[in-house]
Amino acid sequence: MIELLRAAASADADGVAVVTDERTVTYRELLSFAEAIAAGLGERGLHRAAVLDHDADTVLATLAGASLTGTELCQYPPTDDAVEIASLADRFDHEVVITRRQDLDAGPAALSPEDLRAPGRVPDAPPEQRPLLVLTTGTTGAPRGARHDWNRILRAAGRIRPGNGQRWLLAYGLHQFAGLQILVHVMAARATLVAPAPRRPREGLAAMRAHDVTHASATPTYWRFLLAELRADGGPVPGLRQITLGGEAIPAPVLDALAETFPDASISQVYAASEFGSSSSMRDGRSGLSLDVLERSDDADIAMKIVDGELWVRSRVGMLGYYGEEPLDADGWRPTGDLVDVVGDRILFRGRTSEVINVGGVKVHPLPVEERVGSVAGVDMARVYGRPNALTGAIVALEVVAAPGADTDQLTAKIRAACADLPPAARPRSIRFVESVAMAGNKIVRRADA
Amino acid sequence: MSATRADVEQTVRSFLERAQKPSDVLTADTPLYADGVGLDSLETAELSAVLEDTYGSDPFQGETMPQTVGDILSFYDAVANPATAGA
Repeated sequence: MIELLRAAASADADGVAVVTDERTVTYRELLSFAEAIAAGLGERGLHRAAVLDHDADTVLATLAGASLTGTELCQYPPTDDAVEIASLADRFDHEVVITRRQDLDAGPAALSPEDLRAPGRVPDAPPEQRPLLVLTTGTTGAPRGARHDWNRILRAAGRIRPGNGQRWLLAYGLHQFAGLQILVHVMAARATLVAPAPRRPREGLAAMRAHDVTHASATPTYWRFLLAELRADGGPVPGLRQITLGGEAIPAPVLDALAETFPDASISQVYAASEFGSSSSMRDGRSGLSLDVLERSDDADIAMKIVDGELWVRSRVGMLGYYGEEPLDADGWRPTGDLVDVVGDRILFRGRTSEVINVGGVKVHPLPVEERVGSVAGVDMARVYGRPNALTGAIVALEVVAAPGADTDQLTAKIRAACADLPPAARPRSIRFVESVAMAGNKIVRRADA
Repeated sequence: MSATRADVEQTVRSFLERAQKPSDVLTADTPLYADGVGLDSLETAELSAVLEDTYGSDPFQGETMPQTVGDILSFYDAVANPATAGA
């Protein structure tokens, strides 16, 4: 990371690296911050630490500094709960949390980024091993720590060309792997990161307009909400040149709506995960992956195959294993948990293995049902999940966020009609209208226990 | 939520209409399955979810499954008046 930041600062030191709601930070300032952090980490001999901070420039500088010293950083998800912080520190054996918070009485020691900065000398080059711990963003159970190495993460960054005047929106949490990838991409492209807070669609749309955002990467769910915000406020459409979607399966109606709303933007779909990194950007505007991703050569960063309907990946840029668990064969094949079907020349996503609904012995994938419902006029958002039932084990249940002003009785009838030709077990048997659907990290949660 | 017999009967009746099952000749003795209303297992599961959503409890979760419309009505009678249950 430090090498990307140094290259960007040397190409244009006065170029703007980060724009937040409060300030603008140049590449010169960011590099100086990062090197001061690196000096501080070295001086204190910190080999591992957690980071809890909302500021994109602070996080960027801290990550870059640690990538120079080889300090293993781990970003915690945003939380105000000191107990949760202590529990994360306990789970991942962190003695120090880099944070501006001053209320961590018990548990790990708090160290502010300002106090961490030191004027000392910094190494020219990073050590051979540069670990990084990325927490998974599950909604149930404790998070796991995916052990990465900067050298693997940055492997693909060499292919990113410095662009002219790209202004990227930060729509992911910085603690998420997808957020980290945006940071890497922005540094490699010597671009500007526009980082509003909080990182929700409404603030994202406002930031796009206020800061002339040209590039944005977010989940399909985020984009759906952003489109809904745009329709509702009737304000100007941001002049996006690049739209990227990833993190969950991408419904065709979302692609169509984005293409219609942003006619000048290229749209790409990225298939990525915290465990194996980012792969296969599809730019043809169609759902799913092109079948030729299965025919990659042995030296590809990420190769894929399908085993019993599940996508498997072999990654040279992915994690080394989970913290506290047996190391994995880092370059070996691994199941992704994504269920797929091959239809013509495409690999289509059907949902997660953990999301399959067992309706009286019939396995129902929520995604195709959700897509069907999502394309009904008057539906802003749909979530399909398994609802426990005494007779069949589970039934397909549906939560719908209706468009403003929609008549819910009529909408219910239209949804039923749209699902009438699905197999009986796949038809939604319970329909509820809600203000919002269950989400985690701007992704829809479909597990029955959510 | 406490439900009157008429409420519950109306809920069952409108569910059957939507599911395109005969509801016009409905009596308390009408069997829910096969030769009666003819609900299959998924339709029965759906009815149980409708009843649970509407009244907060579901007669199909008990040990003995309702066999007739009257069994459903009795279940909610018992919920409303536990003292006379089974009378």
